[in-house]
Amino acid sequence: MTRFGISATWIIAGALWAAPAWGVTASKVNDKVIDVDSGAALWAKAQEEVVTLMAQPIALPRPAKTETAQIRVKAVHDGSWIAFLLRWKDSEKSEAGILGKFSDGAALQFPVGDGDPPPIFMGARGQPVHIFHWRAQYQRDAEKGKPEMTDLYPNMNPDMYPMEFKDPGSLKGKIGKAQQEVYSHGKAAGNPQSYLKSGVDEIFAEGFGSSSVIENADSKARGKWSKGEWSLVITRPLERSNGSVLKAGSPAWMAFAVWQGDRDEVGSRKSVTMSWLPLEVK
Amino acid sequence: MAKVKNWQINREMNYPYDEKRPKRQWAIVFDLNKCIACQTCTLACKTTWTSGKGQEYMFWNNVETKPYGAYPLAWDVRVLEKLGRQEWKSKEPYYGKTIFEGADPNERAVGFKPEDEDWMYPNNGEDDCAGTVTKGDHITLPHDKWFFYLPRTCAHCTYPACLAACPRKAIYKREEDGIVLIDQSRCKGYGECVKACPYKKSMYNPYTRISEKCVGCYPAVEQGYQPMCVQNCIGKIRIMGFINPPWKAREDNPLDYLVHKKGLALPYYPQLGLEPNIYYIPPIHADKSYLSQMFGPNVLGAIGQYQALQDDPVAQGLLLLMGSTDRIIHRFEVKNGMATGFDEADDEIVSVPVTEPLMERKPFDEKLGAVRQNTP
Ligand code: SF4
Ligand code: SF4
Repeated sequence: MTRFGISATWIIAGALWAAPAWGVTASKVNDKVIDVDSGAALWAKAQEEVVTLMAQPIALPRPAKTETAQIRVKAVHDGSWIAFLLRWKDSEKSEAGILGKFSDGAALQFPVGDGDPPPIFMGARGQPVHIFHWRAQYQRDAEKGKPEMTDLYPNMNPDMYPMEFKDPGSLKGKIGKAQQEVYSHGKAAGNPQSYLKSGVDEIFAEGFGSSSVIENADSKARGKWSKGEWSLVITRPLERSNGSVLKAGSPAWMAFAVWQGDRDEVGSRKSVTMSWLPLEVK
Repeated sequence: MAKVKNWQINREMNYPYDEKRPKRQWAIVFDLNKCIACQTCTLACKTTWTSGKGQEYMFWNNVETKPYGAYPLAWDVRVLEKLGRQEWKSKEPYYGKTIFEGADPNERAVGFKPEDEDWMYPNNGEDDCAGTVTKGDHITLPHDKWFFYLPRTCAHCTYPACLAACPRKAIYKREEDGIVLIDQSRCKGYGECVKACPYKKSMYNPYTRISEKCVGCYPAVEQGYQPMCVQNCIGKIRIMGFINPPWKAREDNPLDYLVHKKGLALPYYPQLGLEPNIYYIPPIHADKSYLSQMFGPNVLGAIGQYQALQDDPVAQGLLLLMGSTDRIIHRFEVKNGMATGFDEADDEIVSVPVTEPLMERKPFDEKLGAVRQNTP
């Protein structure tokens, strides 16, 4: 109960906006931030906020305990793009693959529209949120291509798949990828999960279990795992038409989620911020 | 949690969503006394639905040898063990816990996550019998050394655990026929259904990175045809149709007749609480305590009914309609020594004699001038 009490107070605090002593602050920098990475010098001067996360408490199934208690966040913008640097401890790098292996991931969430922010847990009907969801699995795709079966199971020896013959004979050159993929249900149905990924998905949601991926989104993300820690940069345009809009000088809100794949975190099993955090774009 | 009526355990139980029965419910009855584990059903399904990438070890229909066979490995004993010991007294409702009622507060259902390797031995335990056959052994009834084949598809449960566990609500049960489907455009591969389905009939495809399951051959069903595993069954052990809950049962509906009227066919592991819609005529010579665990306390009644079939021409006729048509039989009748099946429009689709006429062939073929060999 206390948890909800706190989050309600924070939302009210938001309505009576006054420059808070906590929250994420994005200062303006002169360099372009669109392709900035976690090692860039410009981060040195950016203000860091330590954000507390807790095991997602509402939707079932949910994690039994908080796997990621804290993330450290910095932000900078260049007038048209904004970059967020997230850092959190994760003892094992997980990129998913076969059954039961899940990916590390992180997400940023922003309200769509002005006024009081929507419910923190992925919005509500008529009160959408705009999510930027990065997965280590997607980044692996971007770097190495989407895995083939023989990447996932190096010792397997499939003899033939429908429309994919070792010796196509007279059919050589006549069967296109589209024909082959009719036999891959997820692909044939156009499920974004089944395609090669750039690293980050942009998603609109109106409550738990309602999210849909936005096509042709141009946000970027790049994570680096080293010595038990992820450093992840997600960059997005300040303004996204139909989506969330960030403006220098206007108060805004954001929220975070982190998944640790090796701890079986996926979907609703995640650590999240329990309330909206003020975001100040300077 | 809503309170819903589960007729298979004869009581109300807790389920995350309200009771909403479909207009009609897809169901299959299998006569386990006749299955020969030829796996034709498995291959009929495989060639129809799962020949693509990431489906190499995926069998929406599988046939396992009980007690030792299981696909994935030990699915049944692992689920039962996780649920813990429960009691079900004969002639009483089941008062033990279902997988929904026994769930950890953070979970939707009692379940376990099968490992990748667990799916890779679909023939594990095949033809292994319970007990050691020693020299001089001979058959006794009931068999003291026994095994039987258990063909399985998704049960398109009335209260699916796969659907209950999906936080994305990407699984839905069709209003028109009760078939449970994973929306292939919305699933994100969280694997919650794979973990929650006690029958382990929701499977993960690592190539499309989402989960898949038996689709009940819905395109065939929509056209009035039975699923491929049923159409192609060599042993003619299967019949697919639509089952009603007992309070709406119709005696001339083949499924209602076998399940409700005669009590010949029973759901498997009904105590898990899903109201699964695949029903089995139990193998009459296997171990009774094992069968009671699998089919509940009514199994002895079902065996008794099967043993009394010789005096029941209606049930005999209906069992002969199994495997005699590719179409879905909505109504059947047995009259004047003939069993007849009718489609949805009540037009006749098949008619078979309850007793085949006896043909006598002389050992010597006069016309060909040859001795007849008895080679079938
Ligand atoms: S058998 Fe499993 S996959 Fe099929 S409907 Fe029931 S719970 Fe879902
Ligand atoms: S085709 Fe019929 S007889 Fe053969 S294994 Fe399948 S269910 Fe059994």
